[in-house]
Amino acid sequence: MKPLIERYGTAFAGMAMVLAFVVFAPNFATAGNLLNVVKDTSFLAILALGFGLALTIAELDLSIAEVASLSAVTAGALIQGKYDPSLAVLAGLGVGLGLGLLNGLTVTALRVPSLIATLGTAAIARGLAFMETQGVAFVGRWPTSFTGLSRGTTLGVSNLVLWLVAATALTYGLIKWTRTGARMVATGEAEEAARLSGIATGRMKLLGLALSGLFAGVTAVLLAANVSSAAPNMAGDYFLYAIAAVLLGMTMFEPGHPNVPGTVFAAFVLKALGNGLVLMGAAYYVQDIMLGVIIIGSVAFSASVVKQAAFKV
Amino acid sequence: MTDIAAPILSLRGISKSYGGVDAVCGIDLDLHRGDVLAICGDNGAGKSSLIKIISGAQPPTAGTMTLRGEPVRFRSPHDALQKGVATIYQDLALAPRLSIAENVFMGAELTRRLGPIQLLDKARMRAEARRYLSRLSVDIPDTRRPVQRLSGGQRQAVAISRALRWDAEIIIMDEPTAALGVRETAQVLQLVRSLKADGRTVILISHNMRDVVALASRVVVLSRGRKVVDRPIDGLEPDDLSHMIMNGAERPAVAAAS
Repeated sequence: MKPLIERYGTAFAGMAMVLAFVVFAPNFATAGNLLNVVKDTSFLAILALGFGLALTIAELDLSIAEVASLSAVTAGALIQGKYDPSLAVLAGLGVGLGLGLLNGLTVTALRVPSLIATLGTAAIARGLAFMETQGVAFVGRWPTSFTGLSRGTTLGVSNLVLWLVAATALTYGLIKWTRTGARMVATGEAEEAARLSGIATGRMKLLGLALSGLFAGVTAVLLAANVSSAAPNMAGDYFLYAIAAVLLGMTMFEPGHPNVPGTVFAAFVLKALGNGLVLMGAAYYVQDIMLGVIIIGSVAFSASVVKQAAFKV
Repeated sequence: MTDIAAPILSLRGISKSYGGVDAVCGIDLDLHRGDVLAICGDNGAGKSSLIKIISGAQPPTAGTMTLRGEPVRFRSPHDALQKGVATIYQDLALAPRLSIAENVFMGAELTRRLGPIQLLDKARMRAEARRYLSRLSVDIPDTRRPVQRLSGGQRQAVAISRALRWDAEIIIMDEPTAALGVRETAQVLQLVRSLKADGRTVILISHNMRDVVALASRVVVLSRGRKVVDRPIDGLEPDDLSHMIMNGAERPAVAAAS
């Protein structure tokens, strides 16, 4: 019984909370509102999956939101300039991947701790985003071939949901089923042991941070496509949400480890919570306070699980 | 002398100095198949420096090593591992929260190819990990358990299984019983015997003279970076060993008897 509570306690609590909103929050359980929550979960979960990949190799990527914003305005600038939408998508993803690689190289080659390296990258990306846009947003009637990435449907299913499913499946498959994923996990769990076993730990760290940047780029393109505009701080609101999703996710399924199902489920719970609070008339700032409590509480909780496990020896 | 008696590993004139200070000096050593060689010496005698050289963690300043009759230089511990010389590190070797199978196959995973992708063959890794452990007479049915849930002796078995995974012929154990209780120490001693029975060659560094006498077939004593004793263990008592280590030479009576 105890392991069940350890593994699924917060997941059940999250479900209970969503059910409470279904009962008590006006209009929460309507199809339209739930679809919005799920769509919003897509952006958050994809961004958080990237942060989780960085955390898997035991690095923090604090640049995800600024990198995503810069990716979005880069794609937006190309759309505004009437370039082909596929070029805009590639540019958005390229900016994310490029800055992710930069983070990775700063950490592995220059030996700057990721906390500092990604903070620096965040500042640079923010500066560049404001430079590109001169502080205003790119807004326009963008081609549906671009906006359709987020607003369209395939076989009746929202494309955003499909992107979420694809990102989740790819990340899960990478971590759980491939040799590279196993080596990333080993690097994050015990870098010295991994190195002594011949794992190229530097390359794993580079990969984790590069993927984190790439996922920020994907999130950015989908965000811009969804609102057919791009602003220099458009992903900022997702930053704390993404960190909270990964950390809250670490309290479920595989307690103490960043894990894919936990991240995605926590992203949904957090978005449902934010949405439900708004519907129940809570002020906007309540969400920030909630996120702070969840971030601290999750780490305190999952750390206690780790300690508990360690004492069983 | 036939080929069977040829040493598996030979050191000739191995020296290591750090900024003019000799940590080890002109060490000659022959290791034979199936030996359990204990390397003893007081703190600062040069044990760790010698082990770092044999395990590939550091290159010697001078001297040569011959492995299976071929001259050899280890570029890193992993290079040594690939050439069949594995070192069981005390605390660094395992990822506590990962499973037994993941630890045994870390860096040497069993995979199936799917196009360009190397997919993990988890079922085979679990079964093989169990097999390695049972070769060490350790029975852990579920190799999905995280290593942190194991006893100290079982963890040593996991670390040794990783060496077996690389098919290491020479296994270096640095203070394998240092942090262990009585029962776990007995488990580890049993592991070393299993390795010997399995035809492996073991280099054992230990401060515990009782362990050395119980396990080793030969003992080398270092003192101030030099080899002062190199003899079979036959008939040695723990006290004799302590005496050798403290005096940097064999006790006269023992030397005469041998």
